Amino acid sequence: MSILLEVKNLRVDLPTENGMLHAVRGIDFQVKRGEMLCLVGESGCGKSMTSLALMGLLPRKAICTADRMAFDGTELLGLPDKKLNQLRGQRMSMIFQEPMTSLNPAYTLGNQLCEAMLEKPGVTRAEVRERAIYLLHRTGISNAEDRLRQYPHQLSGGLRQRVMIAMALMCGPDLIIADEPTTALDVTIQAQILRMIRELQREFGTAVVFITHDLGVVSRIADRVAVMYAGQVVETADVAQLFASPQHPYTRGLLNCIPVRGKTLPGSKLQAIPGVVPSLVGHVSGCVFRNRCALADAACEQDPPMVNTAAGDKVHYARCHKATAADAVQLNEAA
Amino acid sequence: MNELVNELVNDSAPAETPVGAVGADIALELCALSKVYTLKRGMFKASGEIKAVNEVSLRLYRGETLGLVGESGCGKSTLAKILLGLLEPTAGNVLINGQEVDPTRRKDNARHIQPIFQDPYSSLNPRKTVAEIVGLPLQLHRIGSAAEQRKSVRTILDLVGMPERTYAQYPNQLSGGQRQRVAIARALILQPDILICDEPTSALDVSVQAQILNLLLDLKAEFGLTYLFISHDLGVVEHLVDRVAVMHKGSIVELETREKIFSDAQHPYTRMLLSSALTPEPGLGLGPDIPEPAFT
Repeated sequence: MSILLEVKNLRVDLPTENGMLHAVRGIDFQVKRGEMLCLVGESGCGKSMTSLALMGLLPRKAICTADRMAFDGTELLGLPDKKLNQLRGQRMSMIFQEPMTSLNPAYTLGNQLCEAMLEKPGVTRAEVRERAIYLLHRTGISNAEDRLRQYPHQLSGGLRQRVMIAMALMCGPDLIIADEPTTALDVTIQAQILRMIRELQREFGTAVVFITHDLGVVSRIADRVAVMYAGQVVETADVAQLFASPQHPYTRGLLNCIPVRGKTLPGSKLQAIPGVVPSLVGHVSGCVFRNRCALADAACEQDPPMVNTAAGDKVHYARCHKATAADAVQLNEAA
Repeated sequence: MNELVNELVNDSAPAETPVGAVGADIALELCALSKVYTLKRGMFKASGEIKAVNEVSLRLYRGETLGLVGESGCGKSTLAKILLGLLEPTAGNVLINGQEVDPTRRKDNARHIQPIFQDPYSSLNPRKTVAEIVGLPLQLHRIGSAAEQRKSVRTILDLVGMPERTYAQYPNQLSGGQRQRVAIARALILQPDILICDEPTSALDVSVQAQILNLLLDLKAEFGLTYLFISHDLGVVEHLVDRVAVMHKGSIVELETREKIFSDAQHPYTRMLLSSALTPEPGLGLGPDIPEPAFT
């Protein structure tokens, strides 16, 4: 599979009253065509800033730098607005967290659904309308034709999120960035929406960057996972690999503190991660997790390396001094 | 250290807790509780009715944790508000320790039943310091002298794991987890029997959620508290509760022990809820698409 999106050393800095806030501190990742990459992390780890940087929607005062941020070979940073607008909505689109606020209450759904596609040259209104009805139908909305005339307030939260998904698919994009698309929804609706996203993604061959804080969701839909902590990717691997043998102490901690049936005894103490996330204002150095990590020692004052812990041609990177590279393990075993 | 708080409460409070023969081991009882909202749909149309809570009867035994699960809009929070005396029920009544709750005497009820709300960002007064927030119930109930009040505030804040430097801080200087700890301290300072926890961890990150859940477990063991734990997170509910009540459209559709609900749920709605819960187990996929069962 060819690489659709390539990000190298992406940094986002936000000036605040107390100094520079380093929201994203040099992250690398790739998304292949048709792949579902999950970015998972807790609030404040920079996952939303990453998605906004990709779409060029960062706040104006934010400073965004990267060695490379290329979508299908086109460098996104420094691209003129006109060129960027030809990509956004057409070839890459976004689903936001809040279906209540991301639809414009003053326009009908039909208006909003069709807007982006009408920008395409040589497309007729009738075609656009037909596509809108088809996608509404595919996202599980009944009476699609009537819905086009309705306003967002006439729909429930779940239906609004379905409309947002249909809107993201209108121009048949290669990449969708979904920023916590199901967080505001009930569990039963969440399961339906996730199922639908996965099905449509497979059918249309769209690559998805799925941003969430919920490891349960990640484990069920992702192809590949990148765990983020304090503005960095601390671990990345295939979904099965990551959940079977997490390498970074933070990932292990996260998995341990979720009660799972059959593994955690009800009423027993959960293994919480002590402490809180460090402040990212000002100069940050060394391993950011060392103040909460049981394994931390003097070596962790240094910036940790990104180690590939999987053998062969597999990739399972962990940003930790304590993680051992698979090659080294093999050497040790041979000796 | 909790003897101190005990002493304070007992000293100035008249012995009001009825220890009747009936319901001695029932901390909280709800008898056919209903809350109906009427909707006016225009001058000439008949007004409609919404049954937010529909004839709910529940018993909370002393020292147990009862989980209340259901989707948004099913009436969980309305029920919690009625229990706290913040809403008057349309029909039915609430018994605390066997005594009927008089909604006009909120202060007396507050001695026995206290809430922990979902959003620690909006449930603390931003203009008061942590120590003031936690001490306010003592002031309102005129328990102890100022010095004694300060002492018990320190005791309780220490108990919930708040470091001393935060006592003079304002809520906006605290993290989400710390705010929820302050809310828990405020709920516990009057030494209530029952805590109504309305989604206490759903606004928190998972690593912090585990800290708060551990704290709730510790406090329960230490004070012998009774919890009504309202949540939509079935993983958390399974970890914490003894019995589960499943609520759907204002009614309790299933009430069983934890083991039974999670191994052998009877009601189709419960089964649907269970199948939609996504535990971190890769390979299971998203499960089949189960349509919402029809209800009458």
